[in-house]
Amino acid sequence: MLPLRSSVSLEKKLLSFSRNSCPSTITQSLLFPSHGRLVQLKTAVSATGVAHREDDKGVNTGMASTWDLSEPEPLPPGLLRELMPRHVAVVMDGNARWARRRGLPASSGHEAGVQSLRELIELCVKWGIRVLTVFAFSSENWFRPKGEVDFLMGLFERVMESELQNIHRQGVQISTIGDSSKLPKSLQKLLSRAEQYTKDNSQLHMIVAISYSGRSDITQACKRIARKVKDGVICLEDIDEKLIEGELETSFSDFPSPDLLIRTSGELRLSNFLLWQLAYTELFFAQTLWPDFRKTEFVEALHSFQQRQRRYGSRNS
Amino acid sequence: MVTTDSIRRSSARIAQMPSFALSVLWFLIHLVISIFFIVLGIADAVENYLISSGFLKRYDAINVGKLRYLAIVVDSEDAMQINKALKLLQWLTDIGVKHVCLYDSEGVLKKSKEIILERLSCAKLYEEGDEKSVLDSKTMIIEFTSQSDGKEALVRAANLLLKRLRSLGENQEEKIFTEAQMTEALKAVGSGGPEPDLLLVYGPARCHLGFPAWRLRYTEIVHMGPLDSMKYGSLLKSIYNFTLVRQNYGK
Repeated sequence: MLPLRSSVSLEKKLLSFSRNSCPSTITQSLLFPSHGRLVQLKTAVSATGVAHREDDKGVNTGMASTWDLSEPEPLPPGLLRELMPRHVAVVMDGNARWARRRGLPASSGHEAGVQSLRELIELCVKWGIRVLTVFAFSSENWFRPKGEVDFLMGLFERVMESELQNIHRQGVQISTIGDSSKLPKSLQKLLSRAEQYTKDNSQLHMIVAISYSGRSDITQACKRIARKVKDGVICLEDIDEKLIEGELETSFSDFPSPDLLIRTSGELRLSNFLLWQLAYTELFFAQTLWPDFRKTEFVEALHSFQQRQRRYGSRNS
Repeated sequence: MVTTDSIRRSSARIAQMPSFALSVLWFLIHLVISIFFIVLGIADAVENYLISSGFLKRYDAINVGKLRYLAIVVDSEDAMQINKALKLLQWLTDIGVKHVCLYDSEGVLKKSKEIILERLSCAKLYEEGDEKSVLDSKTMIIEFTSQSDGKEALVRAANLLLKRLRSLGENQEEKIFTEAQMTEALKAVGSGGPEPDLLLVYGPARCHLGFPAWRLRYTEIVHMGPLDSMKYGSLLKSIYNFTLVRQNYGK
């Protein structure tokens, strides 16, 4: 069996690299570490045009920090630009477990997870990934304890409020998919405002799946088609796969089907996420818990994607 | 007397030392990691042997009853090796798996189902409701699926619901287009098999190649590598690991 899991420590990193990389790739990565937590020295040109060096923390320290995207970042060693996925989907799993292992409440895990998301968005913009879909909250998550659900709704609002300007500044377009009618009214309004505010951005399209279910997505698509048949817009005989795809919630995206799905925390399932869209998506299941998923782990997932021989069925999805 | 040339040569040699040192370091790390790969490969092979031979006792008492429904996805080119597929099914019979869904996108296995069922003495073809039936220790029920049971089946199910909607009249979409109705419609069009607990992917790509999406909500997915290199030990280990999984289903 080819293992699918990876984790942060060097020992486990070598194990995971052995599954997914060749010795040369690992050697490059070890000689040129690119861990987001390392202090990086950056050369900047001051207003007088004199170059000077300044220390710069590699990772943002607070939710309201300005994102450092002033310079285009070359790809890490071993990654080829022409093989980068256009659409990456992420199931951000493991926040509660991360907190439990540290004797902290689940809310601390969710807050720590926000840092990982910020870094991932930053990297996607820097490395030219066009679409990023994140599974923030599933329709089944509504059955979690009320306190946790209320906290999550509050966290989504706080993060969206504090990050919207930075997101907009970096050219990220925000869209949401899922049953928004179940969300608090204030969050619904905020998400709608964020979508409107960023709709003309083109650096990265970030799709936030909130109160989302893959089965519901398919069912709703069929319902919309039914309405179009009733209204005479299409004929019954015209219904085919393309028509259903065109009515899915991701159909507005330039690249509706993810090339790569990453799920953290070691779980090996889709959990009702983008069921139709994932037919030919490369699946990468990482052992790392979401709050610990950083640049190194993302690079590993991208390495694995690029090295895997990708074969589609004779009919593309 | 020290000449300019000798100074230049010495300087050049000194300047080359850091890049030489880096090259040596690269070689040493490369060597260490290559050795690591080799050791890992040997460890994998040894583990497979130990599992297959029954030396690792924990694999003797697998709670295979927890695996109610197993799906196997095979790359269509690999699926042409019917003998390999038969060997895999025989292994699953020996392990005690009762319900198996075989999938390849082109339907190669579906076309060969008579041969497969004939060669496996205790296998029978899946019929709706079979997932609830109690089987004797040797019988295995096999469902054969392909691309036509995936997205194409969802299209047929959607058409069926649309026809029902027409017969009911206006503004009944909310009642007709529900997940439960879609599941029933899929059964009606002949693609209503159960949701697998575990899906093993045999192929070069780590994706499920269009396996019926409706049935994959909470399925554990494990990539096993090409069918050519399938191993009994890896199969047993995957099933054993599945029996240890505890799902919260999002709650």
